[in-house]
Amino acid sequence: MPEPTTEPTTQPTAVLREPTNLVSPRAVSYWRLSSGVGTGVAWIAVALTWFLWDPRPWWASALLLLAAVAAVVPTVVMPPVRYRIHRWDVTDVAVHTRSGWITREERIAPLSRVQTVDSTQGALMRLYGLRSLTVTTASAAGPITIDCLDADVATDLVAHLTAVTGAERGDAT
Amino acid sequence: MTQPPPEPPYAEQPPYAGQPPYAGQPQAAEAEWQRMDVRYLVVGPFAAARQFIVPAGAAAIGLGSTGSPWALLALPVFVLASALLGAVPWLTTYFRVTPTAFEVRRGLLNRTRLTAPLDRVRSVDLEASLVSRVLGLTKVSVGTGVDDTRIELEGIAKDDGESLRRFLLTRSREAAAPAAPTGIAGTAGTAAAEPSVTSSPYGAPPPSAADPEPVELARIDWSWLRFAPLSLARLAVVAGAFGFLSQFVNDIPVWETRTAQDAYAYVAAQALAVVLVVAAVVALVAWVVIAVAAFVVQWWNLRLVRDGDNLRLTAGLFTTRSTSVDEKRVRGVRLTEPLLMRPAGGAELATLATGVGEGGTTTVLPPCPREVAVRVGEDVLGSPADHPLTVDLAPHGRPARRRQHVEQQLGSLVLAVVAAIAVGAVPWDLPWWLPLVVLAVASALGVVVAEAQYRNLGHRLTADHLVVVGPSVVRRREVLESDGIIGWVVQQSFFQRRLGLATLVATTAAGGEKVVVVDLALPVAVGLAHAATPGVLDEFLAA
Repeated sequence: MPEPTTEPTTQPTAVLREPTNLVSPRAVSYWRLSSGVGTGVAWIAVALTWFLWDPRPWWASALLLLAAVAAVVPTVVMPPVRYRIHRWDVTDVAVHTRSGWITREERIAPLSRVQTVDSTQGALMRLYGLRSLTVTTASAAGPITIDCLDADVATDLVAHLTAVTGAERGDAT
Repeated sequence: MTQPPPEPPYAEQPPYAGQPPYAGQPQAAEAEWQRMDVRYLVVGPFAAARQFIVPAGAAAIGLGSTGSPWALLALPVFVLASALLGAVPWLTTYFRVTPTAFEVRRGLLNRTRLTAPLDRVRSVDLEASLVSRVLGLTKVSVGTGVDDTRIELEGIAKDDGESLRRFLLTRSREAAAPAAPTGIAGTAGTAAAEPSVTSSPYGAPPPSAADPEPVELARIDWSWLRFAPLSLARLAVVAGAFGFLSQFVNDIPVWETRTAQDAYAYVAAQALAVVLVVAAVVALVAWVVIAVAAFVVQWWNLRLVRDGDNLRLTAGLFTTRSTSVDEKRVRGVRLTEPLLMRPAGGAELATLATGVGEGGTTTVLPPCPREVAVRVGEDVLGSPADHPLTVDLAPHGRPARRRQHVEQQLGSLVLAVVAAIAVGAVPWDLPWWLPLVVLAVASALGVVVAEAQYRNLGHRLTADHLVVVGPSVVRRREVLESDGIIGWVVQQSFFQRRLGLATLVATTAAGGEKVVVVDLALPVAVGLAHAATPGVLDEFLAA
């Protein structure tokens, strides 16, 4: 079996820099609370089952412990990590975001191909003054989301993005 | 950038200025709503009957088994209901062509109104089932813009469908290039001088210098039938049919000879082998027959032509289809060489376009010789000088190869563990070495598969195209215009990060909406994106 040729050196290479902006620092507490509520309810359900399980097999306790760990990770460990990883940049030309804890994902879309600029705010997010922004293109594979921006920053960004994309002609496909 | 778009040429005049108006009426400023062809009243009940036949049959059997006298009424009720329900679409569906849009209004209780702006029409397909063809009807489907919904009209007279298709595509082209002085608005004066040039109510534009004769790109060649059995896409159908037939195997006389007559004991001992061989031969013959028949039915009379700016595909033995795509919407092609077809030199060709039905890919050539697929593919792409369909691809290097092997061997390991559990769990005796055999066979196969997948894996950025072949046993070369790339995603899983690899996704509005380059070295992936869409990444690159 012949060895495959090694990395061709003729190909252009480049390195993406870290996007400049972080999301709102309040996002950390919001993520904590929102995942805490969800996992907390689930954990209480599990704990109740454990309590009522009369001849309790040994592995039921192990499961309970596992459920506790599973509840702690997204509430305690993940939000600060996510805050540091989730970064974004918006220029006059393109949008760039980075996200993902285990699987890292960087998304880039030129503003000339942007179809819609959406912003959403759930009830809990309003409490924290947060707003998420989603930029879509004509491809189902290409939506770009910036989670939990400061609400004012998000509003300004929407205005900027709609102004830039509105000036574009053509159907952006 | 902010100035309003130039006025389209038709803003000055009603769309049918000078064209023969509907049904000989004087020219109307507002286009009339009209119904589908009256012959639809014959087709409709068939369609309705097909929808109800299963529940109606079940109900009839249920009633019949109770001996109820109502069972006698089932058939007339079914026929009557089908006739009535079949007429509803004709009664409630209206359509019209206004200066700016193609509109369809339908529904009895839930009224819907579908509007396709003329400049957004991307594709117009005609399809006629056997019944429709006998009656001279056709179904028109209009595809618009980026969403997947298509506007469908079931029963249009064949000639009207043709001229509607021609009209919609011409108008969408003009709207896309408003400066072009040809077409309806341009020829309105001459057409007005000679009314009733055509009896078509859609006012098909008279042929002009801008509409050259259709150019034929490909036509069915029956020698391509040799590739039909090598395409395994329909194998599932045959396997199902064979499974159904196999329940009659017990009735094959060989089994009875064994039980009935001792004199044939020797033959009987061989019976199992005979049955297996016969079954294999029968399956093979059935497969060839079905594959060839399906090929003939689907691709009968295939023609791929370039008609002005449109690509048009017509084919079909019983149900005839006619698919038209605005060539500007074609962003790329996909050349597929399935495993069995590759040694025979066969390939299939599909176009990646925006606004075309589900999936955005249209198969334009059946299994055919690779050279034909390459020639037609390059023709469809506009004969690019960079030859994206034949250019050599850059391999992804050792880490990518290693990932293929690791993935395959993980699979074999899982299989072996499953086998080991099976040996322990099933009540009857399985040999203890079974998991080892499974492991050996699976890992040997895994090596072959991984190597084959890695050999196919490759990419190349040519002058105007991104060319990608994914890590799969089926060699599938996707060619996408760099201009059709509307975004990038760079993904790195945990294991890819350890190897410094990344998966680069070029998002697009055409075809499957993305083209994926698997397991590139991260700097190469970013460099590729940077080179394919100059300017976009500039501000995001590290100095």
